[in-house]
Amino acid sequence: MLTALRTFFLLSLLLAISPAQAQSRGPLVLAAASLQEAMSDAARVWASRKHAQPVLSFAGSSALARQIEAGAPADLFISADEQWMDHVAAKGRLKPGTRAPFLRNQLVLIAPANNRTTLRVARNFPLARALGNGRLAMADPVAVPAGKYGRQALTTLGVWASVQGHIAPAENVRAALLLVERGEVPFGIVYATDARASSKVRIVGTFPPASHAPITYPIATLKASKHPEAEAFRRFLLSREGKAIFARRGFAVR
Amino acid sequence: MTAAEWEIITLSLKVSGVAVLLTMPIAFALAWLLARGRFPGKIILDALVHLPLVLPPVVTGWLLLIAFGNNGPVGRWLAQWLGFTFMFSWTGAALAAAIMALPLMVRAMRLSIEAVDPRLEAAARTLGASPWRSFLTITLPLARPGLLAGAVLGFARSIGEFGATITFVSNIPGETQTIPLAIYGALQLPGNEAAVTRLAIIAVALSLGALIISEWLARRSGLGKGGHVL
Amino acid sequence: MSFEIHIERRLGEANIALSLASDGGVTALFGPSGAGKSSVLNMVAGLLRPDKGRIAVDGVLLFDDATGLNLAPEQRRAGYVFQDGRLFPHKRVRDNLLYGWRLVSPESRWMTLDQAIDFLGIAHLLDRWPRSLSGGEAQRVAIGRALLSGPRFLLMDEPLSSLDAARREEILRVIERVRDELKLPILYVSHDQAEVERLASTIVPLHPKA
Repeated sequence: MLTALRTFFLLSLLLAISPAQAQSRGPLVLAAASLQEAMSDAARVWASRKHAQPVLSFAGSSALARQIEAGAPADLFISADEQWMDHVAAKGRLKPGTRAPFLRNQLVLIAPANNRTTLRVARNFPLARALGNGRLAMADPVAVPAGKYGRQALTTLGVWASVQGHIAPAENVRAALLLVERGEVPFGIVYATDARASSKVRIVGTFPPASHAPITYPIATLKASKHPEAEAFRRFLLSREGKAIFARRGFAVR
Repeated sequence: MTAAEWEIITLSLKVSGVAVLLTMPIAFALAWLLARGRFPGKIILDALVHLPLVLPPVVTGWLLLIAFGNNGPVGRWLAQWLGFTFMFSWTGAALAAAIMALPLMVRAMRLSIEAVDPRLEAAARTLGASPWRSFLTITLPLARPGLLAGAVLGFARSIGEFGATITFVSNIPGETQTIPLAIYGALQLPGNEAAVTRLAIIAVALSLGALIISEWLARRSGLGKGGHVL
Repeated sequence: MSFEIHIERRLGEANIALSLASDGGVTALFGPSGAGKSSVLNMVAGLLRPDKGRIAVDGVLLFDDATGLNLAPEQRRAGYVFQDGRLFPHKRVRDNLLYGWRLVSPESRWMTLDQAIDFLGIAHLLDRWPRSLSGGEAQRVAIGRALLSGPRFLLMDEPLSSLDAARREEILRVIERVRDELKLPILYVSHDQAEVERLASTIVPLHPKA
């Protein structure tokens, strides 16, 4: 028993001080949930160029903003809307001169893959009727960007009031996607990139860009950033090659 | 305290109350099996019962979705034969709360059953009691304070349940928005500190109260050497 | 033939082997601690299963490994007085006394509650909780509880060991009265030679065997 304990202790010590591990840790990136696949692609390409592997953390932009506000020691922040980036900037957490527009996305109405309903997403479209007894899955329309855009679009199209009481507010846009994938809801509102990432849902229609504020993903370096390669990685993401990686996943790039 | 906040509190109490009440017999049966039973696979049963305690709550919520959602094996059966669904309903929140409370309840109840001296049960048998009667007249009354302690502990845990609930049935005001989900939602908006504080105080008070009652009950029954469940 | 006990059982590192046939009165199992005396009583009561052998009391077969017979404890009608009393802590003395009485059929009861409390002198204890009783009082209640369950024989496991001298004398007299007035076969376990010589008509030595 004692020898096992000692061995375990020595092993953990070894791992903790292992130089190889310390060197392989790249910049910490806090990114909106909808960037999961694309960001992982970009990080892999970056690491294959003999750079340290970036560490990625995905969550709802509101949760990430709160973490940054509380002093999270991260390097880069990519938000799913301008408002949360503004919020973080107002708290003085951004490194001046590093904020830049990065990606754009579209909002789509999705259904489970085996649901063949057709609906044209336009003014006053019969979404409430199509929902029937079911709910509309979307990220929380109060605070999560994907949800806020969705609510904005539905309001512009004059449909929000009729579906307001039939929402399933999910923790983030990926959780909303999961509900549609599982067939627990007849429809959901997610980003075009999320719909593309899943083979279990189909896109019923795209919300007209005019029905909501532009979905832009700003990127910025945080004041707390300490990693020497943070700036280089940010530049890589904003480069033509970096943006191409995101375009392959369905994002629109400037 | 606004009307909306009262609704959140009463929903939480309803969800947790129902969860604990319905889980009690199941937790007791499992506790009994684990305390006194001798059968192959007992270790596996023990591990399964403790799973919700160690799994990330989101994983538990995801598993609930897979199994009890309308398209899951159990959910589909319930919808088809009983016209009943957990999805987006307070019953789903109660199910999530019950699953998360189960391991703690089983642990406490098992301790209280094990604390009953089996020699007393043996004495009852020699006096003419069948195993079942011995259980009803000796084991159960002696274990009762510990059983109650387990139930109250489960209640305390279920009041704070968040990850499994929001993953399984999402955050619907009036249906699944219990106190933790409401606090989470309120935290999403800047400048909501007052509402968050009020709800947090309620949550702390409920949980603390339940914990204290549970400990007091456990000490009364003289559980274990130290007489406590935690 | 009151007690016919031929049993063998492995207990931990030791083996118990006992062969006895006795007739009436008190049959005492006498030996030092650890010799397995309590285990013998448990086997007669049905709480422990022998590896091999046969147990009959007053002609009624309780255990026979040849035929696979093994009566459950509740069917053996044994009145077991334990070394540690084992009164139910959540019941008052009255309910302890009546526990077995309530479970047995009326024709098998050969004593009423009043008779028992007279015999044992415990009328003043009826409403007390077991934890408030002295050693002697608890032992008397334990004997009363066993007697009231309508047993056909008694098993007594060192009933005097936790008592002081005065109490010991008191209970010894009670047991003598049970032996002489109620005429039940008693299987009695003790490590005290004087006790055993005073009470028993048959003494069976039991030594620890490795």
